[in-house]
Amino acid sequence: MAVDQLSDIVQRCQTIQDDLYTPEDYDLFQCAARKCIEEGDSVHVLSIIVDEKNKHIVRCMGWNLVGPLVLVLLKNEENSVSPSRAIFSHLLEICSPKELLVSLLEQVEAAEPDVIRDTVMFLLQPLQKVLLNFGRKKATFLGMTLSTLLNQIARLPQEDTAGLGQCCSGLLCFVKPFVEEAKDTRNSGVAHDEELRTEMLKFCMMSLRDPLLGLQFTDPDQQDKSFLCEFATEILAILSGIGESLPELLCHELLKKHEVPGFLEEEVRYPKESLANLAYLLFVHHIAMETFPVVLSPVFILQCNMEHIELLLSRTEESHLQRGLDLYEKSLVRVEDNSLSVELLEIKTFISVPQNLVKVMTLCPVHRLRSKGLAVFQLSINKFNTEGKYKFLRCMLKTSHHSGVEGVIIKNIKNQVDLSLRPGNKNVWFQGIHFLPLLRLVLSLPQGPETDLLQNLDRIMESLNLLRYLLIRDKESDNETGVWLELQAFNDSFMTPLRLDLNMSKAHYQAELSNAGVKKKNANRGCDSESVCTVSVGNENLPNLTPEVQIQALHSALFTFELIESVLVRIEEIIEAKP
Amino acid sequence: MAAEPTREWSDEQLNNDDLAKKDIITFIQDNAAHSFLSEHKLLGNLKNVAKTAKKEQLIVAYNQLFETKRFKGDESVEEVTQNVKDVKIDDKPKEEKVEAVYEGPPKYTKSVLKKGDKVHFPKKGDTIGCWYTGTLEDGTVFDTNIPAVARKKRQTKPLLFKVGLGRVIRGWDEALLTMSKGETAQVEIESEWAYGRKGLPDNKIPPHAKLNFEIELVSID
Repeated sequence: MAVDQLSDIVQRCQTIQDDLYTPEDYDLFQCAARKCIEEGDSVHVLSIIVDEKNKHIVRCMGWNLVGPLVLVLLKNEENSVSPSRAIFSHLLEICSPKELLVSLLEQVEAAEPDVIRDTVMFLLQPLQKVLLNFGRKKATFLGMTLSTLLNQIARLPQEDTAGLGQCCSGLLCFVKPFVEEAKDTRNSGVAHDEELRTEMLKFCMMSLRDPLLGLQFTDPDQQDKSFLCEFATEILAILSGIGESLPELLCHELLKKHEVPGFLEEEVRYPKESLANLAYLLFVHHIAMETFPVVLSPVFILQCNMEHIELLLSRTEESHLQRGLDLYEKSLVRVEDNSLSVELLEIKTFISVPQNLVKVMTLCPVHRLRSKGLAVFQLSINKFNTEGKYKFLRCMLKTSHHSGVEGVIIKNIKNQVDLSLRPGNKNVWFQGIHFLPLLRLVLSLPQGPETDLLQNLDRIMESLNLLRYLLIRDKESDNETGVWLELQAFNDSFMTPLRLDLNMSKAHYQAELSNAGVKKKNANRGCDSESVCTVSVGNENLPNLTPEVQIQALHSALFTFELIESVLVRIEEIIEAKP
Repeated sequence: MAAEPTREWSDEQLNNDDLAKKDIITFIQDNAAHSFLSEHKLLGNLKNVAKTAKKEQLIVAYNQLFETKRFKGDESVEEVTQNVKDVKIDDKPKEEKVEAVYEGPPKYTKSVLKKGDKVHFPKKGDTIGCWYTGTLEDGTVFDTNIPAVARKKRQTKPLLFKVGLGRVIRGWDEALLTMSKGETAQVEIESEWAYGRKGLPDNKIPPHAKLNFEIELVSID
């Protein structure tokens, strides 16, 4: 019987002096006691534990019982609750904090996702008690505990938002006494106070990543995400309380106030992802906005945020991209239109961010994000002054390598020319000496006469539209944009190759159309048509195009060529009409 | 990609007074990688670089460039920044130079509440620390860093920033450059040198708002 076994081992241990128990003693005690607890004989165990004679035994060996006790208490069985709870409380008082902490954390780590919430919620208070028993040297242990807790909370099932909410609130209560201690000892200069402060900082930074980064912050459908807001507010309040200033955190790179020795230390104390999320929470959701100085100029804030935006937009997770786009938009909106100076383009992020944006606009599978990307891209163009717009558009035209984006850029160029030709807006960028080089870039075919017209449709149409616009709007006698001067050159480098390309493409597709007609007749007669190629998406072969669909596609292509041609013809007409 | 550029100048030629700093700078700017230029502080307008760089520095940089072979590479950022740079042509005709346009009288007023030491004035780029309270015309306090008043804030540090670099609203940059260490002043800033037409709705500043600050300049570094 387990009860007897337990009594036996305890009696034997009572005779041993100076806590010199053997490993077998430990094992026997643990096994016997555990069996008792599991079999429901906790009362017996309790009587042994509280017996003064057994104080030393309990202090040394008691912590081993934490595991089984926690499991029993979590099951919440009626007949075991009271004595088990009493045993548990007693152990927490008597045993060594270090050993208790290890066994408690083991229980946290061992929890499967479906019981994490209950385990965490149950263990928060015991953990807090044990940590407080460490006295002033608790920092490392606190750090260990917080990181284990956060890691486990990150493993909660996605759908369990209620559970997450509970754990977040619980966690905030848990850290309260430690935060207060860190605040009180802020300027003590003592090493372990500084360590405590560092652990609180690390905790905040970890939270800013998990759970605060992965989740959709505000769900228009669900109201119960409000705990995230509260959690974020508290985390930022803790940061403030331990002496971290928000401007210094966010404009970290630029202000370079922190000189923490050792590169690794820097990354751990101020991880970039967490700081980026911090910027998002502050500027997009206005969390802790009251603590951020108002007097910092919008341009400076934009500059600081570009670092964070670059990080967020260089990732592929929806959560990151959403945040990057929102933060970029919010930062741009604060700045006046036409105010950003061209010198900002010397800063690496002012080029790399738009390039990331192009990737989002063209490659991101989520339509909502692609659209938003485009909107923010346009916004970013609007904010530059004229010289800035010129440089930016030129640079993006050279580097985007995507017809749709090039189309947007060329349209912007056209709008800028239109603006500059109006009275009072004269400038040297969208007319005058700098405009021609830009125009040459626009009026070109990427692969000469062999350019795929369908692939590059957006770009080609916008280029033609621009040329047509210039020829109509800018009188040859004024020639403000210089287009008339270079007309022959444009004819040679752009219009003639385009004409050639059109002819070749039309002929080719016309031939394909005839073939398709033949194929269709064959298909109708029941002959097998061989497919030249198969297309598979996601390991599944798509069905071959039916002849009808092929013919439709070819007609559509021919129609597109006609569209291009019509603008080209119109341009030629305008040129010929000039005396 | 272009072949490696040839080393034109010997050490003797480099040290010769006949060889202008600008020529060396032009060469390096044309041929070195962006990161190289950044590290040696050779980015930017030719005239500005010529002003701040010493000839010895340039000779060192020139030699290092050939030793480390950090010429313009295939990095797309490289290309891109080069594309951006391409547009900068040195011999711009005069009408394009951004002339210092007279914008009218300063758009702020300052009245001294407590005199400073009148000796230490901040220069552009200095890091200064100040305590401040900002109010709207109707008296609403929209921002402050003074502990007694700001109950929500736990910071007890003065606001630190580099003055004169556009990191704060213009009225602040201009006013603080006229203040001496220890001075407390009442500064009224018109909206053009504050948040202008847009205001800052997130922080309760309406459009065209004239802002009032009481600022104490406590430190200059």
